[in-house]
Formats: sequence, C-alpha cells, structure tokens
Amino acid sequence: MMSRTPKASDGGPDADLQHVVRRRKLILGLLLLGLIGSVLLALLIGTLGPIGPGNPERISFGDAMGAIFNLPGDRPDYYNVIFWEVRIPRVLLAGLVGAALACAGTAMQAVFRNPMADPFIVGVSSGASLGAVIAGLSGIASVAVIGSFVSPALAFFTALVTVFVVYSLGNVRGKLYVDTLLLSGVAVAAFLGAIVSFLIYFRSQEYHRIIFWLLGSLSLASWTAVGVLAVAVSIGTVVVFLYSRDLNALLLGEETAHNLGSDPETVKTLMLVFAAVMTSAGVAFTGVIGFVGLIVPHMMRIVVGADHRILVPSATLTGAIFLILADALARSVIAPTELPVGIITALCGGPFFLYLLRRSRTGGET
Amino acid sequence: MELDLRGLSFSFGEKQVLRDVSFKVHPGEFLGLMGPNGSGKTTLLRCLMNFLPAGSESISVDGRPLDAFSPAELARTFAVVPQSSATDFSFTAYDIVMMGRIPHVSSRIAGTTKEDASAVRSAMERTDTWKFASRPFYGLSGGERQKVIVARALAQQSKALLLDEPTVYLDINGQFEVMDLIKRLNREEGTTVIAVLHDVNLAARYCSRIALLSHGMLEAIGPPKEVLTPEIIQSVYGVDVVVRRDPFTEAVYVVPHTISSLGHAHGTHAHLLCGGGTGGPIMKALVERGFSVSAGVLNVLDSDYENVQDLHLAVVAEAPFAPISEGAYAENMRFIEDSKVVIVSPFPVGPGNIRNLEAARAALRAGKLVMIVSPAPGKTIDFVGGKADAAVKDLISSGAIPVKDVHELVSKLPMEGTG
Repeated sequence: MMSRTPKASDGGPDADLQHVVRRRKLILGLLLLGLIGSVLLALLIGTLGPIGPGNPERISFGDAMGAIFNLPGDRPDYYNVIFWEVRIPRVLLAGLVGAALACAGTAMQAVFRNPMADPFIVGVSSGASLGAVIAGLSGIASVAVIGSFVSPALAFFTALVTVFVVYSLGNVRGKLYVDTLLLSGVAVAAFLGAIVSFLIYFRSQEYHRIIFWLLGSLSLASWTAVGVLAVAVSIGTVVVFLYSRDLNALLLGEETAHNLGSDPETVKTLMLVFAAVMTSAGVAFTGVIGFVGLIVPHMMRIVVGADHRILVPSATLTGAIFLILADALARSVIAPTELPVGIITALCGGPFFLYLLRRSRTGGET
Repeated sequence: MELDLRGLSFSFGEKQVLRDVSFKVHPGEFLGLMGPNGSGKTTLLRCLMNFLPAGSESISVDGRPLDAFSPAELARTFAVVPQSSATDFSFTAYDIVMMGRIPHVSSRIAGTTKEDASAVRSAMERTDTWKFASRPFYGLSGGERQKVIVARALAQQSKALLLDEPTVYLDINGQFEVMDLIKRLNREEGTTVIAVLHDVNLAARYCSRIALLSHGMLEAIGPPKEVLTPEIIQSVYGVDVVVRRDPFTEAVYVVPHTISSLGHAHGTHAHLLCGGGTGGPIMKALVERGFSVSAGVLNVLDSDYENVQDLHLAVVAEAPFAPISEGAYAENMRFIEDSKVVIVSPFPVGPGNIRNLEAARAALRAGKLVMIVSPAPGKTIDFVGGKADAAVKDLISSGAIPVKDVHELVSKLPMEGTG
C-alpha cells in the first residue's frame, strides 16, 4: 500500500527496505509515547478534572498529578479516591479492552483471511449478552458484592461456551473449515440474539440496562476487571505475536502455509482460543464495544502493511489508545451524563476508517 | 535428494485417486508430472508435501519415510510453487519472499537474521525480482508475481522444487520466462524439479523425464520422446496427435490432429497430385468427408509427404530431391486408374515433379474426372520457365474443372452412391 512505498526511491530497493525498517521502529516508538500520553490525558479529563466541565468544583492540574502519582501534598483525601478507585482503573481497563479487541481482531482477520472479520465473528458478543441478560433477569446481578462478580463471570462463561459450539460446528474430522466456522458464527449469533431479544421483550424494566450493555461501557470498571484483563491480554497478545509469521503465511492460504512449514490447524485453533478468551474477558466487564476490533487492525494494515510482526504490536497499541480516548470523550461530551462508548467508537471510527480506505485506494501511490 | 515412491495409493473417501504409483526421482532431475484432468497429478504433489496423508511407507526421501518429517523439515525438503498466488493483504514482494524463511526460524522470539536477509536477497537477485522488492505484491503482474513465488521457493533453500502448473495463468512470454528461470536453476544449481504440467509441449521442452498418470496409475515414465508418442497420448488422453521435432531445440512437440469426421466413410477414391505442403488442406477436407485418399508422386521429406504420413494415407513416394522416376510415374498412374477423381493442388512445379502435371493430362485422356484447385494462370509457381503454366492452361482447356478453393472443391466432388 501507498504508505509503505517510500517517496524517495532513488536508492533502489535497498534504501526502500531500510526505510521500511526505520519507519516501523518509528511507528512503534510513536505509538508507545501516544499510549502514555493518552493515559495521562484521559486521567485528567472528566468531571472535577483539570480538563472538562469542572462542575461543581475543579481539581487543579497539580492536585490531579499529585493524586495520580501519590505525591505528598495538601489536597482533599477524596481526590485520591477519585483517581485511584475510579479513574485509573477505568482508563487502564479501557486500554486493556482496546488492546484485546484490536489484537483479537487482527488474529481473526488473518484466520478468516478476510479484512471484514472482527473479534465477535465466532459468537463472543451474543454469547456474553445472553449470560449478562440471564444474570440481570435472575436478579443475581443486583445482589450486593457478589453480583458484580457473578454477572461478568456468567457472561464470560456463556461467551466461551458459544465459541466452543461454533468451533465444533466448523470442525469436521479434525480440520477447521473457516467458511463453515464463519457461517456457524453468524447462525449461532442470530439464534442467541433472538433469545436475548425474547427475554428482554418481556422484562422491559431491564431494557435500558441491557441496551447500555449492548452498546458497551467502561463505567463498571474496577481493579478486579483490570486484574482479570491484564492477565488475559498479556497472555493473549504475546501468543498472537509469537505466531505472527504463521499468520502471515496463513493469509496466503492454508495449503501455502502448510508448504512453508507452518501448521495451519494448530495456528487457527490457538488464535481462536486466545482471541476468544481475550474478547470474552473484555466483553464480560464492559459489554459489546464494536468497531475497535474491526477498524484498528484494518487501519494499521494501511499504515504499517500486512506483516504481522509489526501489525500485531502496532494494532494492539493503537486499540488501547483508541479506546482510552473514546472513553474519555464518552464521559465528557455531555457530562455529567455518560454516553455508551460504543457510540463514540462507531461515530469516530467509521468516518476515519472510510477516509483511510478512500485515501489508500485513490492516490498517493508512488 | 532422492525421492522414492513405492506403491503410493490415496483415496478421497470412496474415490481412489492414486493407485499403486511407484517411481524414483533422482538428484538434479527435471521430472514432469503429466496426465489428463483428474488423473491424480496434484494429489500426488499434495501427498509429497504431506498436505494429504498418504500413509507411512509409500514415500521416502533419502531413505527416510515422509511422515518422520516435521512440517518445517518438510518445507526445507520441498518448496512449492503453486498455480497462482493472490492475496488481498498488502504484503510487499520482499515480505512474500521472507515467508520462505519460516522453516528456518530457530525460535518464535527470534527476529530476522543475517542469513534470512541474505537468502532472501540472493533469491530475489537470481530471479530478477530484487528491483521490485519494496513494491506491493498484489500490484505486480501475473508473471512478476510468479517469479516472486519462485524467489520465495529459493529462499526456502529446500532440496527440491515442486511446481503445480506454475505457468497456467501466464501469457506466452511469462510462461517461457518462468520456465526458463526454473530450467536454469535446475541446470546451474542442480535443483531437483518436479513439475505438474498441463502443456505437453512445455513439458517436452523442459523436462528430462516425464511421468504420465492416467486414472491415478502410472502409465509411462521416461524421456519425453519415449513417453510422448502418438500411441501413448492416444491411450491416455484419447486424442490423435502428431509428434514432431522442433528444428532448433530437437525437443519433440505435439500437434493435435484436427481431423474430425464430417460425413460417413463412403470410401470414394480420390487421388491427389500435390507437393510442397499445398496438399495438406485438401487431404484434410477429403478425409473428413469420408473419401479414401491417396497422393503422389511425393519426395520423401516433402511437407506433403509428412502430411500423408500423419494421416496414414497411401502414397507414391520418390527418393528425397530425386526427379520422378519411371517406376514412380507408373505407380502413380495405377493409383489414378483406381480413382474416381483426380485432384491437382497448386503445387510449385520444377523439373523434378513436372511429370505430375503430365500424369493429370494422362488422367484426362483416360476419361478421369480431374479438378484443379485455385489455378492461377500466369502465376503458377513455376521453376520450369513457363512450361507449368502452359500445362495448367492445357489441362483446363482439355476438360479439367478449375475450382477456386477447397470449399468449392468439396462442393463439386462426386461421392459414391450420390452421383
């Protein structure tokens, strides 16, 4: 794609290829800086924050930094609570979920050899929705203390069961057929979606809660969620990254991957398992946040190319940045009311994605 | 690399695709795998790659059974060039060739090593693809893409190349470019090549041996000129062909017979006076319409003589470059006497064969129907100082029927039983 073809190609392929290597390092460096920057920015944005509506009072920049970094200073105690019990876990959770979705989306697009695949393609979202709805309707979710654990646990469980069912449907005599898998995912999602609709149709008092969950939100962030996600995401992203060469080969077809010494069956299974675990863990705590897992890998492929050795880390970092910023926006646009973050990701991601798509198809080619 | 197939069989469920195939491939060989669609060529290749499991004992490489190989070991043994490679994803040509290093990666954490980089570079330089290393793979032409894939196979540094109809989607220029490249690697670097090829002539030109499969069984194996005979091709492909020899490369090449029966074989005897290749289209038209055709007098090595041989027609032959002898003339006249119609092609006339025009005149005198195809008064290809032209005019004035071309000829020909 255009962005990988360096402008100055007088030096021939050697110069071009060196340029690519330098560019990759530069992009990774910028993304790391961007991640740190967006975490700080998102911590400062919000009601009472140095940036934002500042109603009824405004926390000064110095006090905010002091609370974040636990510096000694003369400030109200509840500042520390605001940051350490609410905002820091929330921003961290946003980053982890964004990373999980983008990394899982990248893996799924390679497994399905289809840029339109996303982390929910094998039924994670519908499975988790069913668990969340059941938790809500049965009243478990409302039980104090236990409820906040049971509901995500149930959603996580039903998501994994759904993925397992879809996986089994796509598995014929030890071979995983991605087209069957894709169609099974669609059919199972439609079926579970109907059950969810049926359940909430008769319990309209649950309706608002469910819609909020289906659009995704980070308002239920907690240190527990951060802990669970941190484990899932660090294992998941490392596994996906270690298989980047195999994902490259897989994009050329399973037979070619096999002929290049990769083992497509193992790779597909590992990717599905780890993508499903990462995504389900995220969905269990935050609901279904769309677009991140579809758009971020696609966007980064336009920027860094299709080689997964650079694509996986850069998409993972970008996913984190994107969701952190989207969540900061979601809680400050019409503060003190919060928007579901899924609306923001779709509103920002959609047009930006279209812009990149058009640009990569129409011009700039050297 | 020595490859040994012993009784290789493979079935897709009920359908047996390969039956008891046994042959050896020697180091440095260029073996063509041929056979009609569905004969099992591609399946055989996939068995070699263990993409389809063929069972333990039937394939061995350097004396070691194939299933003892890990996927990476197998990829270091065989590198595959498929029919075509396309991807919607934005890999550069360099990325694609770098994938050939996957079987050499020491651990998943390891980055690109110096060996990887130099293997890729050398492979791309040898295939003349280094110049577009940084270009997107999908933007290359079909031929360029296929050369990049050959470069990937080279970067794989395997012992043998397996090609699955590598030129099937390429134009004629791309075909030769890719095949010449592979041949050069085979000759200069001793790379063993096993290639599934559809095009008989491409196979004949490049392969040192050809293994011909039919219904999953090995029908023949050997050098092209032993395997590509009209008899074997007829029995495997069910088509009649003519096998010729390329004048420049000495390679055999195969031309399909374009003769098809257009009418019942009524066997009306037509005798053709021809030469220099002018008789070919007339022979074809007559044979297709069920005539029994003979020709004469033709010098051995004349292209019409070859046409007659290819069609298995009766012929009065004279020694190469010799003028028509008394004996040949007399035999020619006997054919004319037996025939219902005598046809004169617009053959070039020289001192050696002018007696064929005399034979036509004699046929008229004997009351035979004589037809002359596209006579051109004053323009007869005449190496006898106008005598030929005069003879043709004389034939027409003595009752020979001129027809402007083969179409008019066949429309005016009498057939036994119809008049």
